[in-house]
Amino acid sequence: MKILWSLTLCIGAAAYGQALDLKHLDRLADKASNVADVTLDGSLLKIGAKFLSADDPDQAKIKKLVAELKGVYVKTFTFEQEGAYSEADITSIRKQLQSPGWSRIVGIQSKKNGENAEVYLKTGQPGGGLAIICANPKELTVVNIVGKIDLDELSELGGSLGVPNIDLEKAKPANKKDDH
Amino acid sequence: MSYLEEDLKTALRREAAPSDFAERVLSRLNQPAGPEPSWWELLAVLLLPPRLQWVALSVLFSVMIPVAGVQYRKQQRMRAEGERAKEQLVFAVRVAGDKLHHVQQRVLEIGRMDTRL
Repeated sequence: MKILWSLTLCIGAAAYGQALDLKHLDRLADKASNVADVTLDGSLLKIGAKFLSADDPDQAKIKKLVAELKGVYVKTFTFEQEGAYSEADITSIRKQLQSPGWSRIVGIQSKKNGENAEVYLKTGQPGGGLAIICANPKELTVVNIVGKIDLDELSELGGSLGVPNIDLEKAKPANKKDDH
Repeated sequence: MSYLEEDLKTALRREAAPSDFAERVLSRLNQPAGPEPSWWELLAVLLLPPRLQWVALSVLFSVMIPVAGVQYRKQQRMRAEGERAKEQLVFAVRVAGDKLHHVQQRVLEIGRMDTRL
């Protein structure tokens, strides 16, 4: 029985471990002027995808793109002033991305405007995944996608549609509870 | 003559009315009409034993209406949650796409700059 319990816990931990732990970024919400926090795991992702219209070409593209995903996590913070987040906040994410399976495919550092962009891809394991860290002195965005995703299609969506003007209100504790 | 015809003939044969028939009809006609029943008397009639089916229907409806209401509210809540999840999903995918596209553009820019050098 003990073995069974241990096995169950291990499987659970492995499944949970597929998504990056970004909880340490939540404290930045107080300093940010604008916060977007999206946590869509298994069931919520399926429900959301179910509500996407197949008749709308943009939504149909997204529906196709997310069909094999297991989780989508996005945290975006915009700050009024520079230095609101520390390098340690990003280092903590980078450490998680050093685990087996993850490989950095792009890394850009601009000394001119302090921009830092990194793209990590998880391969060689069932499911796959993507992580994007985009940071500049007044903005920090972390994207974590769990599951198989077509990078070209995803990039195309970003290029053609851009970020929509959805007013995702500043993260509140109550909302966070709903999301999890 | 068949038995059927014979039976019919027997059943439909002329019979004389009883001697007091006319008297009884006339006396009934001359009786004064009773008072009109009030609305609650009419309503109470529905609850009399032969109309128990109405009671059963009322009970059934009084159970069904709240159940249907709860079910409707549950469905509305699920729809709202689904719509919210959809909005979040569209937003998340577009942010991810936008950032990836931005990185690609930066890589292309750097590539062009290298070529010029």
